[in-house]
Amino acid sequence: MDVKFSDSVKELIGERGLKIDDVIDIINTAESSNRKLNDGSKNLAKKRIGEVTIYAVYDDNGNVETAYSHRMVLGEIQKTTDEPDPTNWVCVSCNEKAVIGTVLMTYMGVTRSGPAVVCEKCGDAWIEEYLATKTIAAAEGLFEKKKA
Amino acid sequence: MSEIIGETESLCPECLKVIPAVKIAENDNIYLEKTCPEHGKYKVLIWRGVDDYLSLKKYACVPSKPNVCAVDKEEIVCPLDCGLCKEHTQHTCIAILEVTNGCNLKCPICFASASSGYKFHPDLDTIRKMYQTALDSVGENVCIQISGGEPTIRDDLPEIVKMGKDMSISYIELNTNGVRFAEEIEFLQRCKDAGVDSLYFSFDGVTSDVFMKTCGRDLLETKLKTIENCKKVEMGVTLVTVVSPDINLDQIGQIIDFAKKNVPTVKGVHFQPLSYFGRYPIVPQDENRTVLPDLLVEIEKQTKGQLRVDNFIPTSCTNVHCDIKSMSVVLEDGSLFPLTHRSMGPPKDTCCIASKTRQEVSDLWRFVDESMDSSNESDPEPGSWDEFIQRAKSNYLTISSMPFQDVWNVETERLRGCCIHTITPDGKLIPFCLFNINSVHGQTLYRHEVFGKYSQ
Repeated sequence: MDVKFSDSVKELIGERGLKIDDVIDIINTAESSNRKLNDGSKNLAKKRIGEVTIYAVYDDNGNVETAYSHRMVLGEIQKTTDEPDPTNWVCVSCNEKAVIGTVLMTYMGVTRSGPAVVCEKCGDAWIEEYLATKTIAAAEGLFEKKKA
Repeated sequence: MSEIIGETESLCPECLKVIPAVKIAENDNIYLEKTCPEHGKYKVLIWRGVDDYLSLKKYACVPSKPNVCAVDKEEIVCPLDCGLCKEHTQHTCIAILEVTNGCNLKCPICFASASSGYKFHPDLDTIRKMYQTALDSVGENVCIQISGGEPTIRDDLPEIVKMGKDMSISYIELNTNGVRFAEEIEFLQRCKDAGVDSLYFSFDGVTSDVFMKTCGRDLLETKLKTIENCKKVEMGVTLVTVVSPDINLDQIGQIIDFAKKNVPTVKGVHFQPLSYFGRYPIVPQDENRTVLPDLLVEIEKQTKGQLRVDNFIPTSCTNVHCDIKSMSVVLEDGSLFPLTHRSMGPPKDTCCIASKTRQEVSDLWRFVDESMDSSNESDPEPGSWDEFIQRAKSNYLTISSMPFQDVWNVETERLRGCCIHTITPDGKLIPFCLFNINSVHGQTLYRHEVFGKYSQ
């Protein structure tokens, strides 16, 4: 896939401390393995690179809409309710509708839960942008701040 | 078996002459040993744990010199020509502004020897100049501790605070015994309205007998009342506990428990091992001292391991052997969750650490605030990271310590790296310890000499 970035997306990726090459790598990996979410027009892919999980949102033509990351490690799905909130996402490799669930996330030896888009069939989970850039960033910042 | 691991200079406890000193490792302790040609040899315990002492050196900061030096001499004798000078390696992190040497108590233990002899009570013009000294030296993000004596005995204290804020001082904390605030909540409110950001509040124990020893009066109820009043007016408080093995070393766990129960009004506990300057009850032997490793071992023991020695790291702002801090979130079940650990290693970037320290707390909360603004959930899921963040914001506790140096254990090398400075009316900044150090005969190098000149 020919991965393309607008100037504003490039800027955003830089501000978030991410590398363009990593984002391209994530998209190529997702495209060849089919491990991704798709909502009919957009794809959401993720990959752990070193200490960071990086996400990319892109359309079927390879135009990248956004990218973000977290350092927490995702654990198992803790629960989905009997009638979980549906999402527009489909887990492409399972061909299964993804739902909103709760996953365990571990950072610096602390495990707590948070909402995620999950595929109940394969058990994979994806963190959405609002959570990664707000709550998780603040939690990671609390630890990192103390380190700095 | 003993080994010399460092050389420095110190002072003679009898005559205050500058004399050479060596640091000696012996039986896993570190001692400072020095000899005055006239008054003989002194040897005092300064640390327990030789490996620990040496390993903390990796926390040393990249020095960041003061913007201006009041002392401009070719031949400087440290620490007799202090003010600061070009040999000083660290700029000011907190400047201490003493507004009186009078006090509404007369405690048997008082670093400032308050309420004795002359009366130091600077007028508003002099205080303005003292604020300006800090502004000129620090430049930006100036943190001031208004101290004394007891600053609340001045009825014009709110005016003094407002003047500082009008001169663009970023942060003002008030060092107080809290007695007047227990009696007059209106005065506390006026100080808060004038711009006091938090109280640095002496709180030596949780039983009456401790206060009998440290203050000569049973102040327990008064102290509790001060905290209640702070809760009512939403004034943040750091509990400051003088620590002595002869008085209250066995209560530090209970004091931390008390602090936990009183977050968010109580923001932290600062343990202040008794330094032998000003008024103090005895000429100290090693067994009367609480060196930093002693304190940390007691904290670990008395909190039943909730806080461990390894949760305490040097601030890297002043000399690495001068202070230590830990930061924790108080969790739902009342236990402490430490955010600091030595396994995280020293700061990645130790440059300009003093200015970073000044910004650190406000920055952190701004960061957390931003994340809170965008998550509109008022009741976060129990056990979630969202809840953790909300707790971290409101239920946060800092446990720290900085044992001040006295005439027995002072090292000029540590004085030169000091970032806590007393402002003098003649435009100087003097490291706090040095300002207060006195000989066994009560003679100081700075406190009484400087304030005496400006007394009424």
